[in-house]
Amino acid sequence: MAGVETASPRAGWGFLSPLARGQYAAIVWVQSRMFVNSFRTRRGAMEFGAHVLVFLIFALIAGGPAFGLGFGAWVAMTHGRVLGISVLLWVLFLAWQFFAALAPALGGQNPELSHLLRYPVSFGSWIVLYLVYGIAAPSTLIGIIWAMAIGIGISVARPDLFLWTFFTLALFVLFNLLLARMILAWIERWLAQRRTREIATAVFLFLALAAQAFNPVYRQNPHNRPFSNVQRKTANHFASRALEAQKTLPPGLAINSINFRAQHHPLEASEDLLWLGLYTLGAGALLTWRLRSESRGENLSEAPRRSSRARAKSQTRAWIDFSGPIAAVFEKDLRYLMRSGPMLYNLAAPLVMVFVFGGAFRGAGQFSSLRLQYALPLGLVWAFFGLARLICNNLGMEGDGIQFYFISPTPLRTVVLGKNFLHLILFLLEAALISGLVVFRFGRPSLSIAAATLAWLVFAVPANFAIGNLLSITMPYRINMSRIRRETGALGNGLTSMLTQLGFVGVGALVLVPCAIFGHIWLAVPIFLVLAAVALFTYLRVLGSVDRMVQSRQESLALEIMKTT
Amino acid sequence: MDSPAISFRDLTRCFGPFTAVDGITLDVAAGQFFGFLGPNGAGKSTTIKMLTGLLAPTSGHIELLGLDFATHPLDIKRQIGVVPEGLALFGRLTASEYLRFVGRMYGLDLKTTNSRTEELLDFMNLANEPKKLVTDFSHGMQKKLALAAAVIHGPRILFLDEPFEGVDAIAAGTLKAMLQRMTERGATIFLTSHVLEIVERLCSHVAIIHQGRLVANGSLDELRAGVAASISGPQPEEKLTLEELFLRIVGGSGTGTPEEAVQELSWLA
Repeated sequence: MAGVETASPRAGWGFLSPLARGQYAAIVWVQSRMFVNSFRTRRGAMEFGAHVLVFLIFALIAGGPAFGLGFGAWVAMTHGRVLGISVLLWVLFLAWQFFAALAPALGGQNPELSHLLRYPVSFGSWIVLYLVYGIAAPSTLIGIIWAMAIGIGISVARPDLFLWTFFTLALFVLFNLLLARMILAWIERWLAQRRTREIATAVFLFLALAAQAFNPVYRQNPHNRPFSNVQRKTANHFASRALEAQKTLPPGLAINSINFRAQHHPLEASEDLLWLGLYTLGAGALLTWRLRSESRGENLSEAPRRSSRARAKSQTRAWIDFSGPIAAVFEKDLRYLMRSGPMLYNLAAPLVMVFVFGGAFRGAGQFSSLRLQYALPLGLVWAFFGLARLICNNLGMEGDGIQFYFISPTPLRTVVLGKNFLHLILFLLEAALISGLVVFRFGRPSLSIAAATLAWLVFAVPANFAIGNLLSITMPYRINMSRIRRETGALGNGLTSMLTQLGFVGVGALVLVPCAIFGHIWLAVPIFLVLAAVALFTYLRVLGSVDRMVQSRQESLALEIMKTT
Repeated sequence: MDSPAISFRDLTRCFGPFTAVDGITLDVAAGQFFGFLGPNGAGKSTTIKMLTGLLAPTSGHIELLGLDFATHPLDIKRQIGVVPEGLALFGRLTASEYLRFVGRMYGLDLKTTNSRTEELLDFMNLANEPKKLVTDFSHGMQKKLALAAAVIHGPRILFLDEPFEGVDAIAAGTLKAMLQRMTERGATIFLTSHVLEIVERLCSHVAIIHQGRLVANGSLDELRAGVAASISGPQPEEKLTLEELFLRIVGGSGTGTPEEAVQELSWLA
């Protein structure tokens, strides 16, 4: 046919080619249009408001430590204490990687780019987009701000080192970004397969238990008896070894490079910088290896590698052997959870949090015994945080299946009841594990505290489910079951549910603290039980009106849950 | 005369200023294999969604099996089966898990659900992939599974939105036989499809919707008679096929013949 153009007029496939630049521009334009269009709905405006609020919260989280890190770097550089800056960089490194690894609970997930596969996007462009999207993760932003603070601290103390410090820390930031993305991408890959997920779970549990055992051994006893001389020598020996070893690792290399430069040894400074660059390349290579598969259309699902020809009869077995829609919903959701690595990861996160933040309670001093008393109620708060995503968006896992509930004769309140039942069992399991953890680390709480905590739970659980059911219908979003992603619309729901959880904690504190001050903690029990009666009544009212609420929002509900991107 | 299995009056659905379905009135007798046709965007899927409870009508009245949808939605849903546009599958279940779930949601006991699940998986040729998740099925397999789910409770009315799209020829033959058997036993089937040969072969009655309005309704012979009456010149010697009828009824609103339209895209290979 005359005048036919058989190829795109923009030739070249590099990540800076005219085609790639055009694609970046198109993506920026689409994102801006989606942002502008989101204001057409009240939900979109709320989501934007939630973004602003989260940004302010993270700015506060980042701001305080940033000031401390900058000041610390200035003091250390002024007094020639390079080891001090090394500690600061290790803090930065560990905090960055820790928060990134706990991404599902904190919102710093990998970007979803699979929808770009249908277009001629080169692999270079794919990686660039992956990293640019990834910069928006809270862990990255906080890390960059902290690195800048350390850089400013060093530069104020030694202005002549500004350029070298800037370059070194920029490379260190790039290393951290690539490493965090690489770890998350591989975690996601491993969690996608049932077998590797089981192995990862076993390793995780083993590490958690090992960490539990390590802490008492390290501390010797709850009274923090000092080390004996032999133990102190051993500890010092290991500390000096660790100090040497850290010099060969990225944080140590970064600060050594700056230090050598400060002492006018450019060759040694460049050598350390080169090693840091090699680490960065290594992290980048591992990330590239992972992304290469994704860019070729790898499907992260549980598809068996070999097609099984076994008959269905021998493979199908009901987990819960009784009929009825509630059992059906319970079993279906349980199967969904067991097949979703990210969701299981989300459930495990509170246990890690209790362990990590539990350390803060184990200090010496006159307040420690007082604080230890409240370890149980505070620990149980995390159980709610772990399940918040499920409780407050209980239809989000359904995907296209949401339509089935609208065409089936089962009332939606029955479906929601089945889901609440499952979430209650999960909560009790999580609460039992956390209670065990708390008792193991802090000892048994007093009877009055235990009774007050139990009474608070009797209030908080139905209240949580009531609010959760309301949010699930009014602010739903689709949960991606196989990828660790922050879904569209999740922020508004997440923030509201978080504020709700904090509200329940606040109510608990308002009741418990005055009772504790007057020395009558047991008084909290009847107060919580009265509140529990109100919460239960509210829960039943909400459950009773589920069908009516869904009917009035059916279209928007289906639209949000069936959304593909 | 028996009351129609499906009956709706002045059914209207608006999306903002746009009226997708504009005051349609239709009766479908029990036991009919009914084809509901129309070009893309005519309002077919919107109509099916309203008839099955997936979408609330802006106005109008729906009765299925003599029951008012507004007042007896659950009683109606127990007796109808649906294969909607989006298939409504749960991607992270296996086929047998999904069918067992659906059976229990329709109130079947576990024993009946299990036996029907196995029968349907065998019938649909899905029993060979017991461990495969629905999300990993091909589109055709998903369609067969959605159809199995729609009939597991033995519905009296079956709504099918493009049931044969993506299904291989062998499976399509089996499905057609199953559907015909259902109508012989008194079930009513309401089907939309763009494959007009299939509709012509299966359906006893057809309605055509265009730009949200009903433009034709009746048996194929009645439609032919209607078209013939509208032709002023010499009548065609052979019986018009459904495709020819369809093009004559709704094709007149286009900007020219398909060949003329293609001439516009001169840059295509």
